[in-house]
Amino acid sequence: MSEIKKILTISKFTIKEVIQSKILFNVIFLGLFLLLITAIAFKFTYGSPSRIALDFGLGTLSLSAIGISLFMGISLISNELESRTIYMILSRPVKRSSFIIGKYLGLALVVLLNIAILATLTLSVFVYTGGDISSLIIFSLVYILAEALLMLSLVGVLSLITNKVMTVILAITIYVIGHAIAAAKTTTLVKITPALAKLLDFYHFILPGFYKLNLKDLVLYDQKVSDLYIYGNLLYACLYIFFLTFLSIFIFNRKNLD
Amino acid sequence: MLFKLFYMITFKNVTKIFKSELFTKPFQALDDLSFEVEGGKVTGFLGANGAGKTTSLKILMDFVRLTKGEVEFSKELGNTNHEIFQNIGFLPERAYYYPHLTGREFCYYMGGLVGLTKNEVNQKIQQWAHKFKIEFALDRKVRTYSKGMLQRIGFLVTLLHDPKVIILDEPLSGLDPIGRKELKDIIVEVKELGKTVFFSSHIVSDVEEVCDRVIFIKDGRLVYQGGVQEILDKSDSLVTEIKYLENERIQTLEVSSSLKSQKLQELIGSNKEIVSVNNKRLTLEEIFYKV
Repeated sequence: MSEIKKILTISKFTIKEVIQSKILFNVIFLGLFLLLITAIAFKFTYGSPSRIALDFGLGTLSLSAIGISLFMGISLISNELESRTIYMILSRPVKRSSFIIGKYLGLALVVLLNIAILATLTLSVFVYTGGDISSLIIFSLVYILAEALLMLSLVGVLSLITNKVMTVILAITIYVIGHAIAAAKTTTLVKITPALAKLLDFYHFILPGFYKLNLKDLVLYDQKVSDLYIYGNLLYACLYIFFLTFLSIFIFNRKNLD
Repeated sequence: MLFKLFYMITFKNVTKIFKSELFTKPFQALDDLSFEVEGGKVTGFLGANGAGKTTSLKILMDFVRLTKGEVEFSKELGNTNHEIFQNIGFLPERAYYYPHLTGREFCYYMGGLVGLTKNEVNQKIQQWAHKFKIEFALDRKVRTYSKGMLQRIGFLVTLLHDPKVIILDEPLSGLDPIGRKELKDIIVEVKELGKTVFFSSHIVSDVEEVCDRVIFIKDGRLVYQGGVQEILDKSDSLVTEIKYLENERIQTLEVSSSLKSQKLQELIGSNKEIVSVNNKRLTLEEIFYKV
């Protein structure tokens, strides 16, 4: 039996377990919340209700995708160890790398499903209120997916080297700094303090720049964006996700499962 | 007929030292531990809690890396890790599995990982589920299972791919007497199919009941390995229980049979009234308590 088949089996039952655990119910609640907020915002807005719908929709979508990635990523290994299912799986002829890839693949598809449901709702309200779907809007959805998968792989690595609480704290810190770093570099304090600038450059080099995956402002203000910018940042996200996945496999292959 | 001994698993001078925390002293869980698991037999792996049984099994399954030593599998299981693990069924201790999958889905999952189709898994379920008395719960979610039901579904899943060696970590813990009896019967049945069973337990009477061989460890070191009957015969397992009256109360004295006459003479000499004298064989548990 090929490793690909085993990876697909692991991801299939990971999806099944998540769906049957009703975690995705939160997506339905979020969707209803989104509709409610949009309806309230309409009452206080004049001129561009579709933009408001898009603004709320993309914001909720992004937060929900990050939340789900964080929540599922921290339990990538710890839940399997607590329930001892990892011992059942790895006592079969399954490579540790196949287990990690299978779990990531399954969780990534759950994140995709979550985004697809909320995106359908957001775009429906947007179109209903008179908006036109542009390619930039579609790219912003792809960016939200890339950002969530980057978060998932980051949390996966952290969960292999530290406990659940530290994983959450570190992941949220890296996420917030990853979004703020570009703006921080433009502040006067950083400009007049070369050491601080170097520190930020070093941080930028090592840890993920989440700000690169934020197209929402550009979408809302209908700004023109070059293809190089769009595909360049997507390539950056993909390479980072691959790097973190390989790092997870590297760590997991050496980890004592005690 | 020439009978040739063959070992399915050989532990050679295995040492395991845990040094996980930065400022804590390293902990030696296993100390130069060597033993063999014979093919086609049921071998009990005995030791008190913390003796190193689970660590040994985790090293055996490559979940935990050893510090020193070697673990060898028989060529009969295969030459590569892939082949070897295809021929091993492992049941971890106190497993909870996937709470939101049904028992049947869990079987499909584990069967899928060893290349079984849904139909093949269903055939195996049909073969074993009634023996484990779990068929009524197969379509229920695992989170609704009792501890005994979790052990049963876990054991069933361990047998799905028809492994040659079955390794069970405390399979009988937490079960009621009927459940223990049923699982012990299945262990014997599995052995009769020609499988090798290696299971850990801290309950000596269970091991005595179903095992041909026993490996006893203490503080990560081997204390005894060999046949169950052998240790019962070899040790001073025949004792005499003497009951006598002292201050109008019945006292009980246990002495080894070789000292029976001497002790009786001493008691009679000191004017004690002998109430009864009975010969009794020590159980494996009592022998290990003495160790």
